[in-house]
Amino acid sequence: MSDAPTIKRDDPMLAAEYSLGLLEGEELLTARGKMTDGGIFVSRKDWWDNWFIPLSDEMDGAAPDAQLWERIDSAVNAKESGTDAGADVIALKQRLRNWQIAGSTAAAAAVAAVVLMVVSPNTLNTIQGAGDPSAPTIAAAPAAPLMANVPIGDTNLRIGVTYLPEAKEMLVSASGLTADGVHDHELWLVPADGSNLQSLGVVVAGEERRVTLPAEITGNMGDGVAVVLTREPLGGKPDGIDAGPVVAQGAFTQV
Amino acid sequence: MVQAATTEAREALKSAMARLANGDQSALAEIYDATSAKLFGICLRILGDRKEAEDALQDVYVNLWQRADRYDPTRASPISWLATFARNRAVDRLRSGKVRQGAVPVEEAAPIPDAAPLADSLLIDAEKATQIHACLEELEERQRGAIRSAFFDGQTYAELAETADVPLGTMKSWVRRGLQKLRGCLEASE
Repeated sequence: MSDAPTIKRDDPMLAAEYSLGLLEGEELLTARGKMTDGGIFVSRKDWWDNWFIPLSDEMDGAAPDAQLWERIDSAVNAKESGTDAGADVIALKQRLRNWQIAGSTAAAAAVAAVVLMVVSPNTLNTIQGAGDPSAPTIAAAPAAPLMANVPIGDTNLRIGVTYLPEAKEMLVSASGLTADGVHDHELWLVPADGSNLQSLGVVVAGEERRVTLPAEITGNMGDGVAVVLTREPLGGKPDGIDAGPVVAQGAFTQV
Repeated sequence: MVQAATTEAREALKSAMARLANGDQSALAEIYDATSAKLFGICLRILGDRKEAEDALQDVYVNLWQRADRYDPTRASPISWLATFARNRAVDRLRSGKVRQGAVPVEEAAPIPDAAPLADSLLIDAEKATQIHACLEELEERQRGAIRSAFFDGQTYAELAETADVPLGTMKSWVRRGLQKLRGCLEASE
């Protein structure tokens, strides 16, 4: 038996559902997509967040283990001193400082997230649809890192992509993403010359990855080159069918 | 006196957040001392497991250090923002599959070891808390129960439907009707 009449599911309703964490799958991605617009939907979610969170005052406080602060402090110090990262990342930190001085704080913060992250060696699991290698390319200046910040939701949900030209390595941080068990997300480079999109691989939710890119992709890397994120079946875009809908996008900026 | 101490604590937290955004690492220790009991309580309530909750809490503070500039004082008070952040991280962790959902039923998860009522300075907003409680009270029991379970246990629509043993569409209808009424009540209070 239905509880008619049907409730109108407008954006304020979706924002409430997103704030509470009720959504999964397609509905969750729809809400995250709206968060990328940065406008009224973000304000609507803030409105609900600020109403719901006082309910947490009902939750008793509790003391974490006394050693937890030491763990946090050493994790922060390790990241600060760069002891958990390679020389490329240390060099990137210096560039970040220079860039912060230049005043682009929002993008600099995204680079900081990459600089500070723990990178683990990994290999790109899928590279498909390479563009035309003979086409004109936009090459980055030697050693100048490129950074793309791909927001796919609120502040927790963005993918940080950094490309280190000398090492031909790409760092992908997807720590804000959670897998829904139904879809995967695939990252694509949009070459500036209009050639086919090039897969940068399936983004592993909740992980940070370092991958080495092949020459046909590195040749297309450059300041202003766009990246998009598509929603795909598990495992990424199957061969022979179109890519799924674009759920987020960003562009590389030279740091 | 209590009110003055609370105001002072909140101003100190606001100042520490601003210093953190400017790269002052010592501010993180101050923020941790002031807020970890509150945020750990939230993570523990959602995750129902001390180790998971501690991992989530570590994630919260390390992430806060990395991205301190994300806090926008025009959007929320520091404690409100931090509590929302902690809840979101705990829910993300719950969904990541690392935690066995339902492994610790609510009745077993409470009472929490070392649980303690929070100091006034860590309460988010007594006035808002009173108001949302009043508005939730106006809802039908099944609507209120589902919304509270979503907030306190991090349950999705599908999980709520399973728990209540009703079709997914029915649960969505209950919750949406409840949210619609809740919105009207909260807006009227502003």
